[in-house]
Amino acid sequence: MSDQQHIRVLLVDDEENLLEYLSKRLLKKGFAVKATFSGEQAVEVAQHEPYDVAVVDLKMPGIDGVETQKRLRQIQPFLQCIVLTGHGSVESALESGQQEAFEYLLKPVDYDKLLVAISEAYKRKVDLQTAKFREEVEKVQMAGMGPRGIRKAIRELEKIYGIE
Amino acid sequence: MVSNSSSEAELKKVTWELASYKIELHKTTGFLQCILQNATDLIFATDAEGLLISFSKGGEKVLGYSWEEVVGRPIKALAKDPESFEPVMVSCQEEGCALVLDVPFQHKDGKTVYCNASLMDLTNREGQRIGTVAICQDITRWKRLQEDLIQVDRLAEIGRIAAGVAHEINNPVAVIREASGWAAEVIGDAEGLSPDDRQELENVIKQIKAQTGRCRDITHKLLTFVRGSVPTKSEFDVHELLEETIGLLKPELKHSGIEIDLNFAEGPLSVNSNPKLLEQVFVNCLANAIHAVIEKGGDNGRIEIRTVNNNSEVEISVADNGVGIPKEDQGKIFDLFYTTKPPGKGTGLGLPICQNILRQLGGDIYFESEVGVGTTFTVRISVS
Repeated sequence: MSDQQHIRVLLVDDEENLLEYLSKRLLKKGFAVKATFSGEQAVEVAQHEPYDVAVVDLKMPGIDGVETQKRLRQIQPFLQCIVLTGHGSVESALESGQQEAFEYLLKPVDYDKLLVAISEAYKRKVDLQTAKFREEVEKVQMAGMGPRGIRKAIRELEKIYGIE
Repeated sequence: MVSNSSSEAELKKVTWELASYKIELHKTTGFLQCILQNATDLIFATDAEGLLISFSKGGEKVLGYSWEEVVGRPIKALAKDPESFEPVMVSCQEEGCALVLDVPFQHKDGKTVYCNASLMDLTNREGQRIGTVAICQDITRWKRLQEDLIQVDRLAEIGRIAAGVAHEINNPVAVIREASGWAAEVIGDAEGLSPDDRQELENVIKQIKAQTGRCRDITHKLLTFVRGSVPTKSEFDVHELLEETIGLLKPELKHSGIEIDLNFAEGPLSVNSNPKLLEQVFVNCLANAIHAVIEKGGDNGRIEIRTVNNNSEVEISVADNGVGIPKEDQGKIFDLFYTTKPPGKGTGLGLPICQNILRQLGGDIYFESEVGVGTTFTVRISVS
């Protein structure tokens, strides 16, 4: 499972017991996992650390899952969110959100389904990010800078988009 | 003979008067008959012994009998429960009249027809009873509407409670599931376990996983049940959808050796509805049919799927030659959690969900069944 090695997953759920076991299992699979127990905590963490995929509960005390997704994506626009909810139907979740979550899953979730969703969400994130990076690089090329300037600008972009 | 001629005149006069009375009487009878014949309500008149002598057109329509069929029969024979109709007649005789609401009558085809009935005792000038007149109003439709409303209310209430419970249950079940998943990994890595112990622990974990899956199945179905949103609609061909659905169940059909007969209306059957929800209904009907056939055993299992195009609506029926539903269970099959399957096999949610779906889409689901012969479920959906 080497290609999961670098997928950084942010878990957000007020059900601490659930996150305990879920993070243990994901860690063992090779993901980099951070568990947070509220929307506020997740937003705080996301300000300092980049993530690829967030798995967010919908109903939490404090800011709810919809609001959490919104704030997370303001900080990290490429972050993909998977909504995990025990509440209502998936459809009602869709209505309440419209936050373009990558996928809605009903609790209790099938673990394998979650794994698939995470790696697909990761792929989507990388694709979007790469496309945007290319676009920016093209802009730099069109800007008529000298080779030194271009190189510097691209290095700058690589840093922003987390491409090594 | 003066007296003779005067009595002759007298006789003439009386005869003339008699004739005019007779005409009058004839007219009146005709008039009454006309009212009786054309009344849309059920009006009947009996003689002193309670035997029917007159029966309105409305009565023919409501109960399905023609006048010739019922004349001379006791009125109580038309009641669903003749014995309980007797006291009504008695009280009418004692009080001179009686008003009874919600009286069940029996239609010629066996259906129950509910009426509000107003009975009057008829007495002649000498104070002798000569019969009873009853005016009844068919309230069956109204009653069914009321029952539907109560049912909708009740389901909505149950739905709200169930959704709340389902949510509360989902969270702890999710924890159990993750915990057992973790336990499986720990066991997998553990050293020094004897093969027997390892096997035993793996079985236990498997069981926990299966049982939490069972819980999940119920809570997820319940949450689907209360989905309140208006389903989106699109244009599609019912025949295509049916074929896809049959495809989904191919493995089960093959396994059980059931023969499928398709009896489709000509051409595509295009409707504007929700294919995903309808597929759920068809899967349910077919799965039930398969189950009924398997339960009966034997190897001439057959399921016939028939479609009818009625222009403004389409009918899809799934008929099996399985065990059939006993009369006493027929009223319960749309009840939440009602199931005849063994624990863990059925949730008792399939048919109520189907009914709910059809209510949302503008349609209907009903069935006919006979023990040992089979069951036919019919789904009716409006085209647009």
